[in-house]
Amino acid sequence: MFSSKKLIVLLVLFALLLGSTALAQDDGLKLTGWPYQVDVVTENLGRFTEQSGQDAVFLPFPSNEYHDKMVASFVAGTEFDVAYVRDSYLAEWASAGWIVPITGLDGADELLADLPAGIIEQMSYEGEVYGLPYYSGVQTMAYNAAHLAAAGIEEPPATWDEMLDQAQMIKDAGVVDYPILMQLRSGENYLLREWETLTASRGGKLFDDDLNPLFQEEGSAAWEALDWLTEGLNQGVIDPASLTDDDGTLLMAAGTTSFMTTTDYTLKAMNDPEQSNVAGDIKNALVPGTDEVRSGTWGYVRLYSITSNTPDKDAAWQLVQFLGGRDATGVYYVPKRWALEFGLGFSPAPLYEDEEVRNSIGGWIDPDLLSEQAEYAISRPYRFVPFFSDWEIGSWGPLQAAILGDADKGDVLAELADEWNELREDWDY
Amino acid sequence: MKQHARIRLAVIYIGAAIVLLGTIGPFLWLVSSSFQYERQLLNRPPQWLPNPVVLDSYREIFEGAVLGEDSGVPYQSRIFLRSFGNSFIVAGSVAAIAVLVGSYAAYPLARLDFRGRNVLLFGILASRLIPALSLAIPIVLVAKKIGMSDRLVSLVFINLSFILPYVIWLLQSYFKSIPMELEDAGRIDGCSRLQVVHKIILPLSLPGLTSAGILAFLLTWGEFLFALLLSETPASYTSTVVVSLFATDVDVNFVSIITAGVVSVIPPICFALIFQRFIISGLLSGSLKG
Amino acid sequence: MKAETNNERKEMSQGMLAVLFSAPAVLIIAATILVPFGLAVFLSLHKWNLKRPGRERFIGLENYVDWLTDSDFWEPLQTTFTFAIGAVLLIVAVSLLVALLLNENFPGRGLVRALLLVPWAIPSVVNALLWKWLLNPQYGLINALWFELGIITEYQNMLGSMPSVMIWLVIAYSWIHIPLATLLLLSGLQTIPGDIYESAIVDGAGLWQRFRFITLPMLRPMLSIVIIFEMIFALKVFDIIFVLTAGGPANATNVLGWQIYTETFRKLDFGAGSSIAMLLGAITLGLAILFYVFLDKGTEPQ
Repeated sequence: MFSSKKLIVLLVLFALLLGSTALAQDDGLKLTGWPYQVDVVTENLGRFTEQSGQDAVFLPFPSNEYHDKMVASFVAGTEFDVAYVRDSYLAEWASAGWIVPITGLDGADELLADLPAGIIEQMSYEGEVYGLPYYSGVQTMAYNAAHLAAAGIEEPPATWDEMLDQAQMIKDAGVVDYPILMQLRSGENYLLREWETLTASRGGKLFDDDLNPLFQEEGSAAWEALDWLTEGLNQGVIDPASLTDDDGTLLMAAGTTSFMTTTDYTLKAMNDPEQSNVAGDIKNALVPGTDEVRSGTWGYVRLYSITSNTPDKDAAWQLVQFLGGRDATGVYYVPKRWALEFGLGFSPAPLYEDEEVRNSIGGWIDPDLLSEQAEYAISRPYRFVPFFSDWEIGSWGPLQAAILGDADKGDVLAELADEWNELREDWDY
Repeated sequence: MKQHARIRLAVIYIGAAIVLLGTIGPFLWLVSSSFQYERQLLNRPPQWLPNPVVLDSYREIFEGAVLGEDSGVPYQSRIFLRSFGNSFIVAGSVAAIAVLVGSYAAYPLARLDFRGRNVLLFGILASRLIPALSLAIPIVLVAKKIGMSDRLVSLVFINLSFILPYVIWLLQSYFKSIPMELEDAGRIDGCSRLQVVHKIILPLSLPGLTSAGILAFLLTWGEFLFALLLSETPASYTSTVVVSLFATDVDVNFVSIITAGVVSVIPPICFALIFQRFIISGLLSGSLKG
Repeated sequence: MKAETNNERKEMSQGMLAVLFSAPAVLIIAATILVPFGLAVFLSLHKWNLKRPGRERFIGLENYVDWLTDSDFWEPLQTTFTFAIGAVLLIVAVSLLVALLLNENFPGRGLVRALLLVPWAIPSVVNALLWKWLLNPQYGLINALWFELGIITEYQNMLGSMPSVMIWLVIAYSWIHIPLATLLLLSGLQTIPGDIYESAIVDGAGLWQRFRFITLPMLRPMLSIVIIFEMIFALKVFDIIFVLTAGGPANATNVLGWQIYTETFRKLDFGAGSSIAMLLGAITLGLAILFYVFLDKGTEPQ
């Protein structure tokens, strides 16, 4: 009857196996990040080793949990020398003292001189620069040209009001149920960013450069942006799933959405015949504006930073320079490779002139329109204070309620402004 | 009577069909999707059956595991099946130790009369009352400080400490249902407490022990948070960590994730299939008669 | 109750035995959890924000007082209860039915029992993907299926508003948890001797009467364990919220588990995060004791 006894004994043997799992220790540099094209990163590191004589290894972690994994790793004393950083975490990680500035390091000035001011600002916290860019870009608009054509529309909308009209035509023509997707979900990649796009393209900002909130003023661009969302939702042209959906790229690729604002590189997936049902139909256009303002957007950067725990800061800086700047032969080897082979946005000025790079991304996005879009990027210094995320997290629920009409917009915005001011005082800013 | 038996069986099969439809219906969609092109997942109406049948994601996973870097398949696919070894070691050890250690701890809770019984019962549960998320960083911190991060044995301990409370509660409840007379009979025959446990309680609790083992194995197999937070190198990734690696920030390889998910289900289900034959009724009634 | 046997006196006291028997398990749990748990308690008594290094300080129970006087605690608590009640009821009801069915003897039973565990064996990230695809308002499978069956005439947005979003969260969550509950109930059913049923049938007891007067009372110990476990799980719910709604829309699904996550990992306010976790733990403990006394006391060995 009790033949499971043997099996249990067998299983106990597994426990003994555990003791013998001694894990490899290597002394080289450790780079961590999200697992995009791991083999390419490893190849690049091979080139680094060849040029510098230093070993380096890439140990990636899942993208969705990368932030939380790294928080745990930093608190416990991270073993990584260099880490990928998203600009949305920069203030947090810098204020916690987990990453160190590169300002003043050997050769930093020359590399920074090649970068646009907007990008440097996105990598800065309290006046110091915390790394070099991995990839960067701007929020732009994607639209389904076939949907527009089916509804007899020739040009993508130049203003937000025009977008609602066109969406109504598309809906009436029976092309799709909800032509517009806005990313209004709770989460740092969604609601606030969408609000910023809508506000910037109305010529406004959420906060002025001295960190005073502007959104709570009646008639402000930010206020009007929320009104526009409410109107679109009530009119039935903005997808109600906007409040919970976490991946609009899929809806564009499914061909069930006609308009969305999106990060530039997502157009590649939307136009990839393997991943998209509407490959070739998705075009980029300037983010719409108003009668007075043509467009508006903001930029993003993913960067390489040196962790404060690295035992060999010089070697780590060498690696950051190789990855985000020039290699030993003086060329932007890694950034160019990402742009050329994978279409990732780049920042160093010399690459803008590079004919090879221009030709390569033209397959899935209009590079001229994209660089025009970049000219409308606003700066968002308020994002680079340590309490921004605290405020942002608390804003999601109330903002959604205001957009849905469950709460009074004026009250919600006034309260959010108060909360910001309280945080500011609390943090002595 | 024969007619009656046939109706009974028919009712049971209809019920079982409904249950299976509810539980594995969605899973079958995952299986179907794993044989499709990514864009087909977005079809409206959905592509219920694969057409054509695409084997690429499976080929990548198996070729990658066998050939390693020579296979030319992406990193995630290459290391996926290899991470099964880690998952199996951890889940197997946890299941075995949890049942072994848990049954001794459960016995006094079920049978002995001692002060502090309820304190013990709820004390072991205490760590399970607050979300693992709020213990996560303290645990990672402690593990790092004592040099135990990036080791499978740490994962075994953490999973054990999370699962033992459930196993103990489950088993003490099961032990209670064993008629006292059986144990008394053993005691009168001169058995010590330990012998009572070995000769009477454990053999009669096979269904309960098996459930506890399956519970421990499955919970550990699927554990993600600590597998992620404690690992530093691919050598200690478990399969749940590798499955999550298919989301890369720039893109998500949905078909590969789904395929990895489908393959991940196979070992625990086999484990359950092998051990489930011990969840059988009649152990107690048989012994009562005898 | 106690069998006063000869060897009883020769042996050590029952308390000593209990200590010896439970020592290995208790040691494993304590060795792993004690220090981290202590750390969490320590943090909960401090103002401790990782973004303000050097400004940590002991503040006693201030974090707790702050939470208890804040609607950011009471509203998520209410949402958590709503979710937990729905989930526990659904899980227990369905798994009881399924366990009774699978307790019957029929060819193929073993396979059905094993397949039943599939939802539970799917890695959480894939489960997330699955539910995203099931519930999507555009390419979603449930919408498509219902549409093709004529149940709905246009696609629904299940996660868009209350109460629909809560109902679907409960369903998605329960789908994953029903296998566990069924497995436990199934093993509980094995403790019921078959001859009791036989004599009941001889006495003319019907199906319902057998369930009501034999199965239910004898299953009670395991049933109470299942209810207590599922309650503990459900009060801590986080994963499914994280994936499907992130607490939205408009905080409709903002449960304490989500609140704890945002405080700890997003605001890096470990003091606030730990203290709200302790509060949730205390509430859960209270409920567990209450349930235990209420459900399980009647089943103490006589």
